[in-house]
Amino acid sequence: MAHITINQYLQQVLEAIDNRDGSFCAEFLSFKHPHVANPRLQLSNPEEKCQQVLEPPYDEMIAAHLRCTYAVANHDFVEAYKCQTVVVQYPLRMAFQAHKEDNCKKKKKFLWKMCVVMGFICQAEQQLQKKGKGKVGDMLEKAAEQLMSCFRVCASDNRAGIDDSKKWGMLFLINQLFKIYFKINKLHLCKPLIRAIDSSNLKDEYSMAQRVTYKYYVGCKAMFDSDFQQAEEYLSFSFQHCHRSCQRNKRLILIYLLPVKMLLGHMPTDQLLKKYDLMQFADVTKAVSEGNLLLLNEVLAKHETFFIRCGIFLILEKLKIITYRNLFKKVNSSDGLSRSYRYLLLKTHQMPLDAFLVALKMMQVEEVDIDEVQCILANLIYMGHIKGYISHQHQKLVVSKQNPFPPLSSIS
Amino acid sequence: MSRNRSNRTRGAVNLHLQQQKPEAENAVPGPQGSCTTMCPLYELREREAHNRLHRFEILAGTEKDRRPRADVVRTVKEYSRPAAGKDSTRPSDLRPPSVLLKTTCYLIDEIAASPTLQPWTEVYSFVFDRLRSVRQDLIIQRCWGPECKAILERTVRFLLYASFRLCGEPLQLYDPKINDTHLQECLSWLLESYSQQHSTDTTQSQSSAQEEFHALNLLYNLGSTQMMQRVLELPMSMRSSPSVNLALLVSQAFVEQNPVRVLRLARRLDFLQVCALHRHIETCRRKLLLLYSHGYNSRNCRFPVSQLAILLGLDDALTAELCNAHGVTIQGQWVAFSKTQFIETPLTQLRCVKMHNMDMKQKDFNIRSIINGSF
Repeated sequence: MAHITINQYLQQVLEAIDNRDGSFCAEFLSFKHPHVANPRLQLSNPEEKCQQVLEPPYDEMIAAHLRCTYAVANHDFVEAYKCQTVVVQYPLRMAFQAHKEDNCKKKKKFLWKMCVVMGFICQAEQQLQKKGKGKVGDMLEKAAEQLMSCFRVCASDNRAGIDDSKKWGMLFLINQLFKIYFKINKLHLCKPLIRAIDSSNLKDEYSMAQRVTYKYYVGCKAMFDSDFQQAEEYLSFSFQHCHRSCQRNKRLILIYLLPVKMLLGHMPTDQLLKKYDLMQFADVTKAVSEGNLLLLNEVLAKHETFFIRCGIFLILEKLKIITYRNLFKKVNSSDGLSRSYRYLLLKTHQMPLDAFLVALKMMQVEEVDIDEVQCILANLIYMGHIKGYISHQHQKLVVSKQNPFPPLSSIS
Repeated sequence: MSRNRSNRTRGAVNLHLQQQKPEAENAVPGPQGSCTTMCPLYELREREAHNRLHRFEILAGTEKDRRPRADVVRTVKEYSRPAAGKDSTRPSDLRPPSVLLKTTCYLIDEIAASPTLQPWTEVYSFVFDRLRSVRQDLIIQRCWGPECKAILERTVRFLLYASFRLCGEPLQLYDPKINDTHLQECLSWLLESYSQQHSTDTTQSQSSAQEEFHALNLLYNLGSTQMMQRVLELPMSMRSSPSVNLALLVSQAFVEQNPVRVLRLARRLDFLQVCALHRHIETCRRKLLLLYSHGYNSRNCRFPVSQLAILLGLDDALTAELCNAHGVTIQGQWVAFSKTQFIETPLTQLRCVKMHNMDMKQKDFNIRSIINGSF
């Protein structure tokens, strides 16, 4: 397959079309298939050849595809994108003509492959941008428009029976769109797509791979919207059902699942972090569970670039509140800090506010004073991390005798 | 009404898409304007004939006439909605960027900053509308140059200033929602255009403008993860500049739910930054009362009013008023916090404008220098 001539290639395409073999046909248009690396097929002007063998509109479609392989081979991704757009338009137009025949499935398969290629072009686009050429996101946005028109065709296919409905293509397209929206940082555009899937009766019937991808993106979005419960649910699903051979994907999921889990009070083991090469989180975990604000700030600064690039820096900063809680819990039980607090053991349910101020100063928290200590404590009480109240007259925190620091996982 | 609104949003979307397309090498150039005055002659004559001149545009001495004349140097092209069949790309009706910048400066210096034109709500609605038409011309011509930035910078400052000064005005004179929509649009356009230029050919004054507007954006959209993430991705030199750094600290304190710190840091902001932050201040004060109502919840809680006033940045009387509105009881000099009595939505309509910081009023500010960015 990798070394066939152009005529052989076209002959095979023709056969596939005549046999109405959608998946086979799609292979011939796929960029994951070995034929794209075949220099004998990479032609700048394949139109004539195609016309000789194939019927319209297939001839133009295949010609555009071949030109696209040519452009990619020459690293001309802008041109490749243009050709690819042409390729995508054909199945789209055919779909609009609304044949009731059995080639629905074929088109669907076509569309799928097409969009993979779009995704591929998008990646290429990204690389191009890194080199300083091309305008940011411009091409990506156009690609999203194309995908969106495919999506509309799929979503509005109400007539076909469930077995060959184009609706099966929806989730795949949505995932591709998510990918682009995340890249161009337009997450608000995801909302209508999520609604479309939520209201779909097929949502649990799609292939697992697609559902894993879908839940990953929706989980990430929930995290960015600070809806941590939902983020945990979706990302956990994604992590548990992701195929075990996809270590890289599992790692990607973990990058978002870990901060969410930590915020909800579940700390990862070192073993897990080692397995997925995510040791950047190890010290974060340590700092948070020890209530070591100083370490937390240091770690966040140290791995800042990594955390910012992943978009989780701000989420990790939210761990400060839990770190305060753990620090204050320590002050309260006096086992972690210096000896000067040992006396507190005598009356642990009444704590001078000064002790907390000293603790924060030890952690080199900038410009903190007693007013802020009171505000931080009030917030922890409000959030349910501390059971008790502050007495302004006595400048003390009075904690409940039973369970003054409820376990994190019990607090939502 | 609803149809109207959907039209408006669609307009906004189109506008947005246009913004996303700076002059790509192979992009089609937009139409080039050739009008050298603030108002195209055609429009001037038409508005004159139909008595549609604003009183700021009428030639002195003809006000009482049956048909007042237009003052050519004071008439400015008004905003008109794009409509089917209307050609808005005629070069004679479009002003090139340099004229647009001059128009903006006129609107700021001669109208917005004028001590004689009254009331200011009318000044606002005039300037607001004319600046909108300036932006429309920019978009039609697909401008993306230095003039465009200068215009947007002044527009953002004007809208920020107005949001502070007109706070509490009746809805028919000043609608905070509409002001907000335009402000957000201008801000995102401006920041987008900053990110288009390469950091290497940025001059000192340009980068200080970028710092200023990144800081204002953070404060105006306080606590927005997206905006904070955007700032985190800036080069370190810009991120650590005093204004951006302070704005980041305020945002972090807000996210950490530490209103005491937010209100304290707010005192370090300059005037325009206060304008940007001001719409969140009420939320912060309410949050503080909420947290304290839970934190100090005990039967014999006694918290001094004067101390609470310092934390809130208000005087004692206003503190008492705010407490009352939220169901927090005050006995003499003491506040008694109780989590069961706290009311989230204020009982009586609080006038935000009354709570505007006292010392801010006393400072003698010159609107012109505030909006031109040279204070």
